[in-house]
Amino acid sequence: MKKQTDSVVKRSLFSWVLPGNVHLQILLVALITLTVFARVLPLEMQKRIVNQAISLRRLDLLLYYCGIYLVSVLLASGLKYIIAMLQTRISENVLANMRKDLFAHILTLPLNFYRKAQPGLVVSALVTELTSAGAFVGLAISSPTINILTLLAFAGYLIYLNPLLAVISLGMYPVILIIIPILQKKANIANKKRVDSTRVISSLIGEAISGIHEIQGNGTFRMENGRFGKIVDQMRRIRIGWTLYKQGVKVTNNFFVSLGPFVIFILGGYLAMHGKLELGAMVAFLSAQEKLYDPWKELIDFYQVYMDAVVSYKRTMEYFDVPAEFAIAPEDRDAYQLEPSIDIKDLSYFTDTGIQLLDNINMNLKTGESLALVGFSGSGKSTLALCIGQLYKYSSGHVLLGNKEVSELTKKDMVYNMGFVSQSPFIFSGSIEENLMYSCAAMYDSEDSTAEVPSLDDKIAVLHQTGLFADVLRFGLNAILDKTQQEHLAGQVVRVRENFHREYGERLADYVEFFDENKYLRYSNVAENLFLGAPNDPAFSENQLPQNSYFLELLGKADLMMPLLSLGAELLKQTTDVLGNLAPDPVFFQQSPIVLEEWDDARLLVERLRRTKLMQLSDEDRHFLLKIALRFTPGRHTLVAIPGILKDLILEARALIRESIGKDMPSAFSFYQLSDYIYSQTIMNNILFGQTKTSNPKALDMIDQSIIQLIIEEDFLETIVDIGMQFQVGSKGDKLSGGQRQKLAIARTFLKSPRIMIMDEATSALDNKSQTRIQNLLETRWKGKSTLVSVVHRLDIIKNYDKVAVMKAGKIIETGAYHELIDKKGALYELVGGKK
Amino acid sequence: MNSSVEKSEPCQVCEFQENLNILREIYFFSVLPLEVLKVFAYLCTREKFKTGDYLFTQDDDDGQSFFFISGQAELIRTDNGVDETIRTYNAGDFSGALSLLSNTRRLFSLKAISPVICLVLSREKFIHTMDQHPQYMGSVFQAIIEKIHGWEEMFISERSAGCNACRRKIGVSLI
Repeated sequence: MKKQTDSVVKRSLFSWVLPGNVHLQILLVALITLTVFARVLPLEMQKRIVNQAISLRRLDLLLYYCGIYLVSVLLASGLKYIIAMLQTRISENVLANMRKDLFAHILTLPLNFYRKAQPGLVVSALVTELTSAGAFVGLAISSPTINILTLLAFAGYLIYLNPLLAVISLGMYPVILIIIPILQKKANIANKKRVDSTRVISSLIGEAISGIHEIQGNGTFRMENGRFGKIVDQMRRIRIGWTLYKQGVKVTNNFFVSLGPFVIFILGGYLAMHGKLELGAMVAFLSAQEKLYDPWKELIDFYQVYMDAVVSYKRTMEYFDVPAEFAIAPEDRDAYQLEPSIDIKDLSYFTDTGIQLLDNINMNLKTGESLALVGFSGSGKSTLALCIGQLYKYSSGHVLLGNKEVSELTKKDMVYNMGFVSQSPFIFSGSIEENLMYSCAAMYDSEDSTAEVPSLDDKIAVLHQTGLFADVLRFGLNAILDKTQQEHLAGQVVRVRENFHREYGERLADYVEFFDENKYLRYSNVAENLFLGAPNDPAFSENQLPQNSYFLELLGKADLMMPLLSLGAELLKQTTDVLGNLAPDPVFFQQSPIVLEEWDDARLLVERLRRTKLMQLSDEDRHFLLKIALRFTPGRHTLVAIPGILKDLILEARALIRESIGKDMPSAFSFYQLSDYIYSQTIMNNILFGQTKTSNPKALDMIDQSIIQLIIEEDFLETIVDIGMQFQVGSKGDKLSGGQRQKLAIARTFLKSPRIMIMDEATSALDNKSQTRIQNLLETRWKGKSTLVSVVHRLDIIKNYDKVAVMKAGKIIETGAYHELIDKKGALYELVGGKK
Repeated sequence: MNSSVEKSEPCQVCEFQENLNILREIYFFSVLPLEVLKVFAYLCTREKFKTGDYLFTQDDDDGQSFFFISGQAELIRTDNGVDETIRTYNAGDFSGALSLLSNTRRLFSLKAISPVICLVLSREKFIHTMDQHPQYMGSVFQAIIEKIHGWEEMFISERSAGCNACRRKIGVSLI
């Protein structure tokens, strides 16, 4: 626990300077000493060149001193570069460590923290605010060392040249030291305000982006722009003030430093006139005085970086300085193997604002028992589940899992013993398989883990249990095989195809449009209708076709060019007419040959079409129209109908194209044949040797069932499921339906097979069949093995739970077996619809 | 995946137009302006069901509305394994306004008793479209409220005076 709470947010900025960078810092100091020497040497050379070489007219001395001068300058420049490199290295190392540690800390913060924190704010803290702190750490030792040493060396050299002149010209630096901190203090205050306003702005942006559909839906553009504008203006004022103070520091500094030569000219000139100062010494004095400026300026810059860094660092760390409620892992033992009994005594839970959500709950569950928590929304059933699952820290009372207090267990203990399925589970981008492994990942991911990685059979078993199997299988069937890697499967698929056509062909003919050389296919697009084949040459791929001159020539020969361009134009016009006023949404493009990404281009082209004839369009526009026309599938894109004459023309062209390609470039295409695998089509379409015509789920189910039967016979069901498990679910799982996401969340918990299972309305988005299936499974497979706490909304599935607890206003008002409670005619009886 | 029912050549030309005409006749849609109706006419699909196919089944949340273009279907309520036919849907009937608005489980099953062709719209498409036209949701609710009110009025006037069970359940328009 200590390790976590003392962590990153409590560290001072200086604590980052040495750890992990000691070697680099020592190396830096050594290089710096060398640099200081290389910086002072040229001054002495300057003096000797004037006083000895020139005045004595000694060429050898001139060359000798100039040589030393040159070497010093080269050395100083080279060293400066190496020092900058090392500083950058230290800065970036530290910045990376700060980010990693802070992120790790952020992940452990209590859920309550995230009710207030906007994601945008966390992003800006991790990405932007820490950079100045990192930059400071790189400079922390080297910059003051090098500049103070250089200053002292120059000052010493000046005193050595002329003590009086030196003391007077150095006298202005203390004045600077008094004035600058005053200005810097004001800059700091402005900087604090800047950090705060950045925070407000990032939270506002975050909110606007997450709620963009509300903004567009309600047309509140003015309001949002107004809100944003107000904060941006405020930020502008703060930034101007901040920059002005910062510049003020620089200008003040410049002014005093520029006074230096003035003093030297006046006083030095007077002394030289009276023979009390050599001319060479005065030249050297002037240069040394000028050179003082560089280290001094760098010191002032460093001071500003330091001040900025302190402000940003402190502000950032303070914000996240919330203690983690639970330790991540035990320090001196392995994770507990808990006895899965649950004892709840006098449990209460208050929110941060003091609202009581749970009131003195008492309840117990023996190992392997199941409990259904029921009650109206807001009765506290989810809160209770979250407290048992250690996602909320209860305010008082006890929750004991196998006699261990939950609030004192570590996250690791919980992970090893408990599975939690929430009401709206979060699915991460990645494949189905990666998401399936998400819950048990923490168990075998650590170095000391002895947990076994689930096998393919385990995964398939949970897919079956949760009813996700059919979905995953369909993902697999809808995958396109990679010719280079999965060629061996093609033969099997073709065998399944033959069996399918023999056994089910006629029965399913209503739902499938089979590929047929002599028919226009309504559920295949125009390009597929033209070729009835899969391109082997990328120049004939669907995207390249509109630019393929050979193909365009064939279209011309078949008199298809103009009809297809008109078809493309008609599709664009009709679609913009219907969808023109809507904000683009993928749902609107499912039935269109236009894809969402092309929508802006499409609308602009429609504008041009109003003014320009088809034949006068640019090549690019014509290619676009052709591309849309070639994708047109009359069976699915019903906004425009395909004229009968065009179908006839396409059928005629098909014969012409197949013949011409067969003659001119026979390897460019594989024409569809019942005996060949088609690599451009999905596995499903390969088996069907056609396309499904229906979206009626029951009909699709029938097709699936017949195919599954055949795949099992061919013994490659597992292979297809494995392919299906590689399906990418999209960001936040948006390519899955709500039901599929919920099934996936249940499946990943089942795969872990935890001793204690908490399900918070885990089946609410499932259809009746799936819900019953999972309920049956809980009552058979998991009964007695896992202790189950289930928050239940639907009351028809709770009959077989060992216990039912009815909650109201944060209290359990009734507990007992289902039939007991119904017979009692109390709260449960009323809840299920009975009248007292 | 969507499908439409294959039709003879001349009629294909007007499928979108036909859908539009149908929607304008349905109480639930007719309150919407033409620009919104066009989107629905574009988004809805025609589905074909064979005799014996279920359009939806009791306890499922299919989230669809159906307009009967042709054919007949029976509304069935199943209790304790016993089916009871409530009534028959015919060409021109519409069902499913509430399904479009919110997740609700079906209290009945609908089974085709002759080959049926329906115009189907899903909740997802409905919600995504209405999200962009929230100002018309009021009219949609008004149409539904009027329908429920009208239904109850008819029920009250048509029920047999002696049916006590019916009397006790009167008042759905008071929810």
